[in-house]
Amino acid sequence: MNGKKEITISPTTRIEGQGKVTIVLDEFGNVSDAYFYATEIRGFDYFLKGMEAERLPFIISRICGVCSTAHVLASVKAIEKIYQTKITETAKKLRELLLMGQIISNHSIVFFFLTLPDFWFTSEEDPSKRNIFQIMREKPDVGRKAVALRTFGAHILRTIGKREIHIVSAIPGGLIKPLKKREQELLLKEAKKACAITEEALELGKELFDKNWEEFKKAGDYKTYYMALTKKDAMEFYDGEIRVINPKGEVFSEFKAQEYMDHVEEKTYKWTYAKFAYLKALGLSAGTVQVGPTARMNISEKVLTPLADKELDEFKRKFGSPTHATLLFDYARLIDLMYACERARILLEDETLTRTDTRVKTRPREGKGIGIVEAPRGTLAHEYSLNKYGKLQDMKLIIPTQVNNAAINLNVKDAAKEFIHLGEVKPGLLNRIEMIIRAYDPCIKCATRSIGRGLIVEIRNNEGEVVQTLRR
Amino acid sequence: MKVNIISLTCCAGCVSSFLNAGEAFLEILSENFRIVYSPTFIDLKEIPKVDLAIVEGGVRTEEDEKLIREVRAKSRLLVALGICATHGGITSLGDIFSVKKFLEKEYYLSERTQLPELKDLMYPIGNFVDVDYYIPGCPPMPFLIIHALKSIVSEKQPLHHKSIVCTECNRKIIPAKLDRLHGIYEKEATPEICLVSQGFICLGSLTRDGCGAPCPRVGFTCFGCRGPADSLMYRSRDMYAFLVKVISRRTGVPEEKIRAELYKTPFIFHTFIFSRFDRFKARERII
Repeated sequence: MNGKKEITISPTTRIEGQGKVTIVLDEFGNVSDAYFYATEIRGFDYFLKGMEAERLPFIISRICGVCSTAHVLASVKAIEKIYQTKITETAKKLRELLLMGQIISNHSIVFFFLTLPDFWFTSEEDPSKRNIFQIMREKPDVGRKAVALRTFGAHILRTIGKREIHIVSAIPGGLIKPLKKREQELLLKEAKKACAITEEALELGKELFDKNWEEFKKAGDYKTYYMALTKKDAMEFYDGEIRVINPKGEVFSEFKAQEYMDHVEEKTYKWTYAKFAYLKALGLSAGTVQVGPTARMNISEKVLTPLADKELDEFKRKFGSPTHATLLFDYARLIDLMYACERARILLEDETLTRTDTRVKTRPREGKGIGIVEAPRGTLAHEYSLNKYGKLQDMKLIIPTQVNNAAINLNVKDAAKEFIHLGEVKPGLLNRIEMIIRAYDPCIKCATRSIGRGLIVEIRNNEGEVVQTLRR
Repeated sequence: MKVNIISLTCCAGCVSSFLNAGEAFLEILSENFRIVYSPTFIDLKEIPKVDLAIVEGGVRTEEDEKLIREVRAKSRLLVALGICATHGGITSLGDIFSVKKFLEKEYYLSERTQLPELKDLMYPIGNFVDVDYYIPGCPPMPFLIIHALKSIVSEKQPLHHKSIVCTECNRKIIPAKLDRLHGIYEKEATPEICLVSQGFICLGSLTRDGCGAPCPRVGFTCFGCRGPADSLMYRSRDMYAFLVKVISRRTGVPEEKIRAELYKTPFIFHTFIFSRFDRFKARERII
């Protein structure tokens, strides 16, 4: 055989967005390269230039309907930085609660709807059955719990955000409306139920995880840097500083939100619509860094809620710290979920949450500012420059999936090497690659400000001709 | 009924909104509503023949067009879910500038690449295929989606909302005497009085009802995410002029001044109703 070949997987299913994987083979039929890439784009970074600052938060949330609240919050934080506005404690608490609602609604869907089917069914199961709807038919109870949890997240968003998706209440200066006593009571009641469901989900998750661990371990453990928000060594989503640790777990750097762009840089490639982000100090490949649930576990030394703290301890005992196994993302996501439910409950128990001082006056200014929150998929940063007319001059968004992009690609390449020898493709490649990608729960919509549908693996030779296409 | 759920270029918020329906979502899933294809939830790579296809997102790439044509050919009924599918949505803002040019530069699209080619504009799906029902919204509220799907499943005609958001808003319209308009965050809205009367640019008077007016009710201006109401869907109707008249009447600010103010902020209401739209064909089918 002459020349290089490529394998493509498309569309990638059960992920948020449209992806494709291409594996390039060398002249001997061994893996020379592998790419996971996004095939759609909408171009928010371009068409929002000139937009009035006051419209940015609710327009920018349209980048992603799955984690819209995280985008809104990062956006208002960036604008508040430019306006030099300090919001009230009440507004801060309500915003944190909004973010918990976001984590709960996102993680409950990701766990139950996207990853659970991988744990639930064996890999020999008919692919058309490997989905949540089949689980719901077999065990309606699981479906009910998934939906109850999601509904709790949605209720928080509707009550405080005033819409479940693309919230409107978070504005520069705080929140448009305070929380009513009655609403607080209702949410608190639901929060208690949600905590109980999450505990069960964690048990179920751990049980299925233990059963499959030997298989999961094979899905790679790429040793990289990790990054997450942290506040006094504890897990934090809304406030705090950004900490980066090295693959050994030592603190590499710790910096404030406003310094984010000095530490993280991005690059585009011609083969994907998603950009790559990495640690500036180390450069593109040495500076590969991961964000998201596992990164949060690796970086946080403790969690300030009782059950999640116990789970974090157990997690660290079982897998060490830092841990690198890719599929631990799924496990770590459940601890996130536990934290979010507990934190929501604690916030809702706070008597001062219904205070009416949710809004302060803002004074528009020109300048540059960065807003950072921990989104469901990791550290999310929005940087805006506003001109003296209060319009957007420049914008830079670094989104979790862009940061994880490099690690996803390295992992996919490792998997490809394991399954492809001398031009021969062993069965199971498709499944393994999808599981890796799914573990990262990449949001292609965010990374490209776009979305699509599923996965194709394409094998190409060095002339670029497709030699083989794998799809389900 | 067998159901396909398809995502074109969008943010996935519309399908997320469907999931937010909670109990009603569980209730609708039955033999009468069996989701058989959805890349987000199901590992099936080939699009099957079905009774109903729910499509979110618009057509931004050549691949989107190919897909929507295939989806249409394989389903008896087709629902356009959300403003991107029905009108073009937020991505249509890219139509104002030549985004394609920017992107070509940044992503080296001129070089040989396997990425799908971009279209010149963002198109609603109605530009390429026949649509049986349109459910505009960004995203449509869960109850609206459930109502529409339940009706469709039981072969009934869903409610056709043709009025404006003001009919669902509880604020009182009181003509005022203001000297200028205000930005959304400039001052706090007084409860119970129409936002336009207070000088805010609220698009409720142009926008189709059916959402329950969640935004203006809490003091946030309507930004037109349900698209234009029936009365504005004639080609002869100039939405811009209409808005200037409404605002002038409710605020007492002279039309000239309002027109100047609105021209300063080009994003105001083109945001969600910019792309081409076959108004006559669609009107009766909007939910």
